[in-house]
Amino acid sequence: MVWLTWRQFRWQAGAAAALLAVVAIVLGVTGPGLVTRYDQIGLPSCHTACTALASQYINELEFTTYGKLFYAGLVVMYLVPALIGIFWGAPLISRELETGTFRLAWNQSVTRTRWTLGKLSLIGLASVATAGLLSLAISWWASPIDHALSYGQSGSHFLRLSPLVFGARGVAPLGYGAFAFALGVTAGVLIRRAVPAMAVTLVVFAAVQILMATLVQPHLIPPVQTTAPFNASTANEVVITSSGSGPLTMILKGNFSMPGAWILSNQTIAPSGRVFDGPPGRACTANLPQQDCNNWLNSLHLRQLISYQPASRFWPLQFAETGVYLVLAAGLGALCTWQIRRRRA
Amino acid sequence: MIWLTWRQFRVQAIVAGATLVAVAIALTATGPHLAALFDSNGLATCRTSCGTDASNFINQVKGSTTELIFYGSIFLVYAVPALIGLFWGAPLVTREFEAGTFRLAWNQSVSRARWIAVKLGLIGLAAIATAGLFSLMTSWWASPLYQAAQKTGQNSLSINRFSAPLFGATGIAPVGYAAFAFALGVTAGVLIRRTLPAMAITLAIFAAIQIFWPALVRPHLIPPVHGTEPLSAVTFNGIFTSNNGQLFMTIGSIRGQAGDWVTSGRAVDATGKAAYAPSACAQLSNTFIPCLARHGIRMAVTYQPASRYWALQWCETGAFLALALGLGGFCYWRIRRSS
Repeated sequence: MVWLTWRQFRWQAGAAAALLAVVAIVLGVTGPGLVTRYDQIGLPSCHTACTALASQYINELEFTTYGKLFYAGLVVMYLVPALIGIFWGAPLISRELETGTFRLAWNQSVTRTRWTLGKLSLIGLASVATAGLLSLAISWWASPIDHALSYGQSGSHFLRLSPLVFGARGVAPLGYGAFAFALGVTAGVLIRRAVPAMAVTLVVFAAVQILMATLVQPHLIPPVQTTAPFNASTANEVVITSSGSGPLTMILKGNFSMPGAWILSNQTIAPSGRVFDGPPGRACTANLPQQDCNNWLNSLHLRQLISYQPASRFWPLQFAETGVYLVLAAGLGALCTWQIRRRRA
Repeated sequence: MIWLTWRQFRVQAIVAGATLVAVAIALTATGPHLAALFDSNGLATCRTSCGTDASNFINQVKGSTTELIFYGSIFLVYAVPALIGLFWGAPLVTREFEAGTFRLAWNQSVSRARWIAVKLGLIGLAAIATAGLFSLMTSWWASPLYQAAQKTGQNSLSINRFSAPLFGATGIAPVGYAAFAFALGVTAGVLIRRTLPAMAITLAIFAAIQIFWPALVRPHLIPPVHGTEPLSAVTFNGIFTSNNGQLFMTIGSIRGQAGDWVTSGRAVDATGKAAYAPSACAQLSNTFIPCLARHGIRMAVTYQPASRYWALQWCETGAFLALALGLGGFCYWRIRRSS
């Protein structure tokens, strides 16, 4: 059974190994440069007030090849599970059904159930291993970036807790790999034709990824809510806008810094509890010193309402996410086995 | 023949139509919000020195759901040609080979040559129309962002529709990609004759071309402008020095012109060689750049001016359409002569 699975799977395995090798070479060649820059900027020997150095390191990324490589890594990491589902999962059983070879395969000394379980578990493990190795390589490459971000910069795009990066790091890709594979196999078993099963796998996988990220993920562990008094002189954003004929509006965003945390929302609320949106006082619209506007704002007794995921939650959130996907994958695997068992050959 | 093509293509056509409708609904539901934000920052009525308003607008988009929708739509416009190549192109001929139906299909009153020509022509047109509509819809949705980016030298989201990732997802370039991906899929199918390997090869080749084209071919479609600019004429996104003191300066804009595509910018000394930071200039200070300028350091730049955006779009689309035609011609010749 192991030999049969390998024979039928060797092309796909070769393609995956080639992709992994290419990624490993690109990351292996460019990784040391990222570490060199980290050392050069003085972060390893820095003990106090390292935020400015860390910010410089992160800001440079956006404009160098490393930043582009970081984004490319994200894209590859999100594509690989989808490709596993399409090219490993969907054709696995539908190909046998389409070409009629299932009649031969299911009438051997190996029972149909064992055949299915053998294929599902071996190639499932290969999917998890592929996604895991890729995630490991990317996490290793990006570790200087993670270190630099642990000094500050709560809102950066490169933060590993930010929604887009989160799914391409740690153990979450293992769950995606297993789920995409199981989804592909299930689509193949139910639709029985390879190309439509591949298309359905892609659509369902993309939809599940989007729905999980927007609807489920934020509630896996409820975010921390905190309030702080609003201080105009340290505010990040004070924006006064006019919408044509209506009154002027004023949007305020206070300063909030929590190293490595992902901030979900940062609102400024009036003592009445509603979100403050103006109108701005004369101290802010007339041509007066900035201090007058700040004094006026401070006299309003505004508060900041912040909800965020602290940096320490990265691994709990990762395990929760991976767990959900692994359970889904196991459920789909069981459905496939049951469907094939009860099917008349 | 048209009827046969439609019958075999209708599921794919319906899937594409449904996706177009879903995307259109999502974009029209969220588009007015972006436009309202654009207006509320006073950009619609702004005539002179709109840079601050534009920066404010883009800062407000940064970190919001709108930003995620923007990236999602860009990703979608890149994915559509690849999916067309995979699901429309590759199985077109392989399905007939694998199922053995080519024997029936090629022994009708319609000749084999006409069979492949009509299939290539009609589905190729459908591919072009689909990619064109996706590009049109997302460009319409994101037009406030592109307009704002034109009004400010640097923006916090680095939006520039002329630079590498956005160029291929705006304008008419996706049309060329779709035609090419479809022809590539059919060609892979004609040569390999098996669906799954043909799909995998199509994806691998198309992805490789999409990765290498912007760096290696696109900058040379129209010869770029080379020049040496004084430091005062250039804004910088980042400045740093390597271990041995060599200067690296990444360019934001040249002579205050937003929307140029800068493909290379090197700091050079008076003799034109790579510049090293003079020890007299204190780094991380406001006087660093004027000090460098006093020591004769200038920027050697290579760029495509913003005004060439449409010219380059037409060249890029033309190149991919020509490749598609070449591949289509090859498929036609192979099918005609195959026994």
